[in-house]
Amino acid sequence: MGIRSIGELICVQEIVAVNAMMRYWKYLFPTGLFALLLWGGAAVCRVDPVALIAGVPQGIQLLGHMLPPAWKTFPELIGPALQTAQIAFVGTVLGAFLSFLIGLIAARNVHSMKVLRNMVRAILSAERALPDLIVILFFVAIVGLGPFPGVMALAASSIGMLGKLFADAIEEVDPKPLESMVALGATKAQVIRYAVLPQIIPSLIANTLYRFEVNIRMCILLGVVGAGGIGFNLVTSLRLLKYQEAMAVIITILILVTLCEKSSEILRRIVVGQELLR
Amino acid sequence: MLSVKNIAKKLPDGRLLLRDISFDAEKGEFIGILGESGVGKTVLLRCINGLTTPDQGEVIINGDGNPKKISGKKGGELRRIRRKIGMVFQGSILVKRLSVLENVLTGRLGRISTARSLFYGFTDGEVGSALEALDKVGIRSLAYRRAETLSGGEMQRVAIARAIFQEPYLLLADEPVSNLDPKNTEAVLDYLKPLTQQMAIIGVFHAPRIVSQYCTRIIGIRDGAVVYDGSPTLSDATIDSIYGTGKWASDPSAN
Repeated sequence: MGIRSIGELICVQEIVAVNAMMRYWKYLFPTGLFALLLWGGAAVCRVDPVALIAGVPQGIQLLGHMLPPAWKTFPELIGPALQTAQIAFVGTVLGAFLSFLIGLIAARNVHSMKVLRNMVRAILSAERALPDLIVILFFVAIVGLGPFPGVMALAASSIGMLGKLFADAIEEVDPKPLESMVALGATKAQVIRYAVLPQIIPSLIANTLYRFEVNIRMCILLGVVGAGGIGFNLVTSLRLLKYQEAMAVIITILILVTLCEKSSEILRRIVVGQELLR
Repeated sequence: MLSVKNIAKKLPDGRLLLRDISFDAEKGEFIGILGESGVGKTVLLRCINGLTTPDQGEVIINGDGNPKKISGKKGGELRRIRRKIGMVFQGSILVKRLSVLENVLTGRLGRISTARSLFYGFTDGEVGSALEALDKVGIRSLAYRRAETLSGGEMQRVAIARAIFQEPYLLLADEPVSNLDPKNTEAVLDYLKPLTQQMAIIGVFHAPRIVSQYCTRIIGIRDGAVVYDGSPTLSDATIDSIYGTGKWASDPSAN
């Protein structure tokens, strides 16, 4: 180290300037802006912690009305609970099957009809953008109340997500086996059956199981709008102010959802785990 | 049995890759195609079974006294020709999640109706000869393993077993030994060689020395044309004419 040259001096000034710029414009300004937006948003939504705290006794009172749960109603709830699980199961399987077919159309490496593929992709993303509740209400409107519109709604809303995931999985398969089967004279259906399907089976099963978990939760909501299942019991008992029965329904729902999620998780781990541990 | 006539193929950018390639092949021949990387050897093989359409020229295959032109064929007609042309690719062509046996069985998909194959309708006879094919390449014991658990050399042997099971009269081998160590290279070539009793084999290779040992004939390609067609014993001058002067000696297995 010796006498600093003018060049070095300029360098130091530059460092100071850059550092200040970073401090104010890169960190302080964005943070300030974000804080302002958050405060503004909260003000518009009338976020009021005082009201929340003031409501606590009311909440405790409601909980008090719900306890103890009406244990004797449990036997009546088993039927609706099973129906909910069945709606979710049938809806998911139907949706997954249709999604596989749609995935084949939406995948880049299966056929060369670009317009058709882009159209299907666009429909899939439009379906994903549509809130599930609207899909459910749509099917209630066209096939009426009961478990059938529930099945249809779950199948339809599964397609948006599964169709895209399956199409992506199909696009990621190793192309060499496909081409080698084409080279020995296999038909397109045979190539799909023996080269594509075996490669995407793990993704197919894992994603379908995940969707089943989503659907079982959605299925509770289905009952609320009248499409069958245990959600209907919840709305009825709340409307009749039978809070203890409502609590029994809530507990049944918790058990049902937990059971379904756990068993799906175990199945998924068997399928995917096998892949990771090979 | 096979005649390739005046094949020309342009690259998508307009550059002429293959200018004028012609040759015939007969049953019993083991033809090695040599040439620099990027000279179009793989494209030539793909023109033969119609995976790539040549811009000019034609390929005629005649395995049963009934000559068929491949160029311009589509759909079922093309599939009927292809079922008699086997192909072993560079690297693995196996479906990794299927068993070794299932991979071999796919060799006859071209001859099995779609409806039967969709539900795994292979007959006992077919399974028997698939196992026999695996026996021929010495890996019958691996029949029920998943393909993904095999080594590179074993996978290439399964690919050969699939070609044996397919019973083609022409086998195209695109660098079948390029990823293998010397020991496996020899093993794979030893299994390929006797197949020439039933078919013609056309292989693309990189190392001239190996080719001389196994092939019955060499075709050298340079600048899109055949520059050598003859005996597998190659003089240095011939090798220079295929690969360009002096380059090959320092790096015979380039790429």
